[in-house]
Amino acid sequence: MQIDEFSEDHLDVLKELMNIAMGNATASIADLLQAFGTMHIPHLAISDMDGLKAYMEKTIPSDEKYYVTKQLFGGMFGGEFIFVMTDESAVNLGHYLYDVTAPSDADIMDAVIELTNILSSTILSRLSEELNTKVQFFVPSTELMSGNELIGHDETLNYHRIIIISTLMEFQSHKISGHIFILTKDKMIESLSRLIDQKLEELYA
Amino acid sequence: MINTMDYCNIVFDSLENGTMIVDENCTVWAWNKWLEINTAITSEHIIGKNLEDFYPEIDYKGFKRKIRTTLRLNSPTFYDASLSNRFITVPRNKITTSLLTTMQLQVTISPYIPEVKRVMVSIQDISDLHELKLTLQQRMKEIASLNSELRQDKQIIDANLMIVKTDCGCMILEVTDAFSSFFGYNEAELRGAFLSSIYVTDTMETELLQMKETLQKKQKWSGEVQVVTKEGETVWMDAVISPYLDEQDDITSYTAIYHDITDKKRIELLSVTDPLTKLYNRQKFNDVFDVMLMRRHWKEGNSFGLILMDVDHFKKVNDTYGHQKGDAVLIAVSDILAQTVRTGDVLARWGGEEFVVLLPDVDSEKAAYVAEKLRRAVEGTSISEVGAVTASFGVTVYAEGDTQESMMHRSDGALYRAKEKGRNRIESLLV
Repeated sequence: MQIDEFSEDHLDVLKELMNIAMGNATASIADLLQAFGTMHIPHLAISDMDGLKAYMEKTIPSDEKYYVTKQLFGGMFGGEFIFVMTDESAVNLGHYLYDVTAPSDADIMDAVIELTNILSSTILSRLSEELNTKVQFFVPSTELMSGNELIGHDETLNYHRIIIISTLMEFQSHKISGHIFILTKDKMIESLSRLIDQKLEELYA
Repeated sequence: MINTMDYCNIVFDSLENGTMIVDENCTVWAWNKWLEINTAITSEHIIGKNLEDFYPEIDYKGFKRKIRTTLRLNSPTFYDASLSNRFITVPRNKITTSLLTTMQLQVTISPYIPEVKRVMVSIQDISDLHELKLTLQQRMKEIASLNSELRQDKQIIDANLMIVKTDCGCMILEVTDAFSSFFGYNEAELRGAFLSSIYVTDTMETELLQMKETLQKKQKWSGEVQVVTKEGETVWMDAVISPYLDEQDDITSYTAIYHDITDKKRIELLSVTDPLTKLYNRQKFNDVFDVMLMRRHWKEGNSFGLILMDVDHFKKVNDTYGHQKGDAVLIAVSDILAQTVRTGDVLARWGGEEFVVLLPDVDSEKAAYVAEKLRRAVEGTSISEVGAVTASFGVTVYAEGDTQESMMHRSDGALYRAKEKGRNRIESLLV
């Protein structure tokens, strides 16, 4: 199957599945962290690297510092999960989870990783479950970086055709928010397309 | 006979990482061999007990939350491994470096038996990786600091030193701010222009030729050059031009560094110039004369000549028209002499109304011819209020063994003879 065959219909199905997965994530966060958040309607697009860069630049202002957690996930639907929080949000999260007035760098990093864990696990596990496949999570890493460092040159070489799934997550009462990006590429798009086709067959069988 | 459980234990103990099974209250249910060896706590000692009893420093609120998340999501959770350890402390025995005295751990909490709320905590030693990261960070810091110093140095150089970089064809590639502002151009105007366009070529022919030859030999050239600014001002520069060679020893580019020496040149010029006539003074003439004598290649037919010239009846001019007019006569005579001598001849004021000319590459005939040309030029010049003046000339040429004194003596003798014979004439006196 050609990548170009990932159609608008496929995108619509993926968007629906994302809505379900995000609902799951919101519920899990409320349960595990006692924080009640909202997630915005996800944006889905098929793009190339330039498109991804332009989208990132539009979404994440380049002149600010962010805590960026990147986690790879594997399986029939594999790719990269990125969670981007402003410095201020990350400090608030550290303060909230570790119950200290001035959280240390380690507290903040760990809190960001913890929230990313929950988000990636819930969203991707649910997506995989809906697509009747399994997902493997790899060790995430968090770094403090500016917006323009989000995509490096080496990544330009790796990603030629990308599906961007993005949403904004907010805990307004705790002044915590973050952008979620789920990126998948080339071969993975092909297998994702197949999984969605199977899902559609299953639904209309 | 080994049963399935024993096989599991063998696998568990064979793992090259620390693995423990704990429940949501942090009670330890399994502790593998890696942990026994690296923590010095035996499984018999810790199993059934609470981890808090052995490691009270761990943040158990966060740990328990992670266990709960793992069990609730049935998915692994992770500790951040980029900063200091937040889990158990495992000593590290590396002696050759001291960056990390305890292991940097990658801690993953995976669901084990969710029904009984147990998780598996696996501990991976990532110290070497972390050490590399720390070293890299340190190096990056050093590089950043060096870059900052370099930037500062570059700013200082850019603002204060006139430097030009050209390609191998001397086309300008880069200039410093100091260079462009001194010459009155902006950088864009200079980029792509040829470096030779800033030189005053008509008076610098020999120097530029030497420069070209030296650079073609892939050597550094240094010397004084006259350059012209955008406004047309002529300036003296001390220049150092260095070629850059590639691995094949071919010239890839040139870097030229300039230093304005106009003031120095002005002072230098003043020290060798007669203030009234602007010709070389006697001191400078003597220096040039010495250099001329030091050249050993003079021979008959290709020697050098000396003319001593005296303005006729100059005392009378002074007495009749005053000293100011007398000075005007000297200036006018100097000008006509300067216009008439050949390129390469050295003209100077000897003192009073006497002038001297050194004539390279002449024989006696040619020297006399030049003197006659000068005589006619003086004679043919009309000076305001004074009218025409004349001059007498004594000529000689170099002969082997000559000194300044001997040549001056002969030309003086010849001049005396010219005066004796009625003035406004030339006389030669040879060895």
